[in-house]
Amino acid sequence: MSVERNDRIFVGIVWGIVIIGLWEVIAFLLQNVFQDPMAATKLPYLHVIIATFIQNAGALLGAGLVTFSRAAAGFLVGGIIGIILAVIMSLSKTVERIGLPYLIISQMIPILALAPIIFNIVKDMDSARIIIAAYITFFPVAINMLSGLKAVERDQKDLLYSVAASQVEIYYKLMFPFSMPYLFTGLKIAAPLAITASILVDMLGSSSGIGVKILYALYSNSSNIFWAAVLTSALMGISGYYLVVLGEKVLLPWNKTSSKKGGDNV
Amino acid sequence: MNSPEIQFKNVNMAYKGKSGEDIVALDNVSFDIQEGEFISLLGPSGCGKTTSLRIIGDLLQPTSGEVLVRGLSPREIRLQRKYGIVFQSPVLYDWRTVRRNICLPMEIMKFSKKERTARIDKMLELVGLQDFGQKYPYELSGGMQQRVGIARALALDPEILLMDEPFSALDEFTREKLNEDLLNIWSQTKKTVIFVTHNIPEAVFLSDRVVVLSPHPGRVSAIVDINLPRPRENSVRETSEFYDYIVKIRGSFEGV
Amino acid sequence: MKEKMLNIIWPLGFGIAILLLWQVGFLHMIFGLKPYQLPVPTAIAITLSNNLGKALTDCVVTISGALIGMAFGSLIGFMIAAIATFFPKWGYGGMIVVSAFNAIPLVALSSIMNLWFSTGMSQKIGVVTVVCMAAMSMNAYKGLNSLKPFSVDLMHTVAASEWTIFTKLRLPNCLPNVFTALKINIATAIMAAMISEYFASSTSGLGFAIKDSLRKGEMAMGWSYIVVASLAGVILYGIIILVERNAIKWHASQK
Repeated sequence: MSVERNDRIFVGIVWGIVIIGLWEVIAFLLQNVFQDPMAATKLPYLHVIIATFIQNAGALLGAGLVTFSRAAAGFLVGGIIGIILAVIMSLSKTVERIGLPYLIISQMIPILALAPIIFNIVKDMDSARIIIAAYITFFPVAINMLSGLKAVERDQKDLLYSVAASQVEIYYKLMFPFSMPYLFTGLKIAAPLAITASILVDMLGSSSGIGVKILYALYSNSSNIFWAAVLTSALMGISGYYLVVLGEKVLLPWNKTSSKKGGDNV
Repeated sequence: MNSPEIQFKNVNMAYKGKSGEDIVALDNVSFDIQEGEFISLLGPSGCGKTTSLRIIGDLLQPTSGEVLVRGLSPREIRLQRKYGIVFQSPVLYDWRTVRRNICLPMEIMKFSKKERTARIDKMLELVGLQDFGQKYPYELSGGMQQRVGIARALALDPEILLMDEPFSALDEFTREKLNEDLLNIWSQTKKTVIFVTHNIPEAVFLSDRVVVLSPHPGRVSAIVDINLPRPRENSVRETSEFYDYIVKIRGSFEGV
Repeated sequence: MKEKMLNIIWPLGFGIAILLLWQVGFLHMIFGLKPYQLPVPTAIAITLSNNLGKALTDCVVTISGALIGMAFGSLIGFMIAAIATFFPKWGYGGMIVVSAFNAIPLVALSSIMNLWFSTGMSQKIGVVTVVCMAAMSMNAYKGLNSLKPFSVDLMHTVAASEWTIFTKLRLPNCLPNVFTALKINIATAIMAAMISEYFASSTSGLGFAIKDSLRKGEMAMGWSYIVVASLAGVILYGIIILVERNAIKWHASQK
């Protein structure tokens, strides 16, 4: 972290310019040097995509909001269930014995691939979006929260024990605040996944949402709209992630080591 | 007055090591502590001094033997909230400011808000951290953090103060300064202090009596009365009596 | 010993109990489902054994795409991390760009790859490569740069070159992080491969097969593909753990 803050901003701006420049150059090369007949589809000029995005901002952002809000609802539900399970597992050795192996195995299972099956069972696209987003949020949240609850130092507990604090007080004053950085690690992993899940359900046969826009654009060969919709979905994923990061910064001002805690969740 | 406040009677403590072998942490350890006494448990690592302290504080249960505090079990005394404890590391809660860290045990013990504020102000002044009340622990140096840990225990004005190598992570200058401060505070309250250390001059400087423990297995090899005059100031460290006590204690270790 | 037994018995018993409740229709009752929506375990098992050949063929298609993409992605990701380590000032910005890739929804990515590549296989490899790149570069960068205090100073006192510091200090130091990334990547790779198959023009692979059997209303078949995919994931994960145990015996996580 020896890089100065101002330097970092400068470096970031330069990187941004380089990427935009590179995109434009490659698009130019595809169209004019290699004379690729599909060039306008494969990689249109970035400025064209942005122009299309601005022209269709209302429709795209509206569709994005539908997808995003369902993802957020599922994210919330899954997060709460994950936290509750982690707390129960930290309280009961037996529940931990039962739950932990399944939580670990579940990380190796392609959960998102279940989306079509769940969609097929539920049929209703809104609940399917929420269920799948919740489902995929649940695991990283539960695992990280549990590892946070278990990482509390013995002396920190003994301090409360020495003044005869109750179990509720121990959780409220120590365990919960202590595990917040770990919880946020889980939430940061889950946020882009929840949005991906929601878009996936869009594309499996919803009638609204950004995924539908992407599919329609593909079928109708309107490549600029397609790219603008993809751009929207990428922005959704990134903003979902940074919303969690922002939440962490605001809610945990005391936490200067967030990047060091948790993360290695296996 | 004459019956000791804390009785440590024939206490044994054994546990399983990592490869399944039996480790004897305490082997038939006995000593008494009088009310208002400043006593040090002194010894090298592995002598069971921290274990003894944790048993008194009801943070560990002995394998056999009896520990009585005012004729009751450590557990009953803990539930009566008579203990204040200072650890080797500061053990601050990262999410609480200095003030709220000091406040924590008082919240549990349901002190009134007015009382808490008054005591925090007093303690911050005592440990010289008046300007740091609103800082988070990560903004403080190690020595300052440790002082917060001490202030937190003292704020309770506990009847029995348990200190587990509270100054061991500090440099010598800070340590001597805090030794002197601690004696000042103690001379005002005269509560019982049980102080764990591996530093011989520190034990001599602070204590009324020093319980010398030897390792593997942990047992008492001597109990030395320190008859240096009080109040003690850092100049006492330069006297020949002070030096004699150090020599005497150093000679009483076994198997080191 | 007793502890270890309990650690196996409890989860095993729980798993069997769930399977039984599923089998006898209790789960259907609570969630209000019909058996054709959620086939019972025996039905899935029978369907799977009847179609094992096809399921395995599809599995090989998906897994090989996932593994090739993971190899490419991990390699590229590691190289990005290494370059960023040699040029800290500019590299740090590069790392932020790469981490942004991580937030791009898989689905959008596979749609783009669909345009760029004509075959299902190359599209799949493209998607998996990008997805694995991000996790590897971020983890490897962390490992290459979070060194123990004074370890670089020690190297400097013997006038070691940046390259020596890299090979003798940074490289071994980042191995645990590399394995963490590989463990994350193996699950992500299989998932990404399957999802890209949902949308690609491919006619084979687990993703395509699931979609196809759902279209035909063969729910049991869809579930049995999920079983195959999960087993493949668990086995590959196990292999990585075995390699990890032998490669970084010195690391605290292995004790």
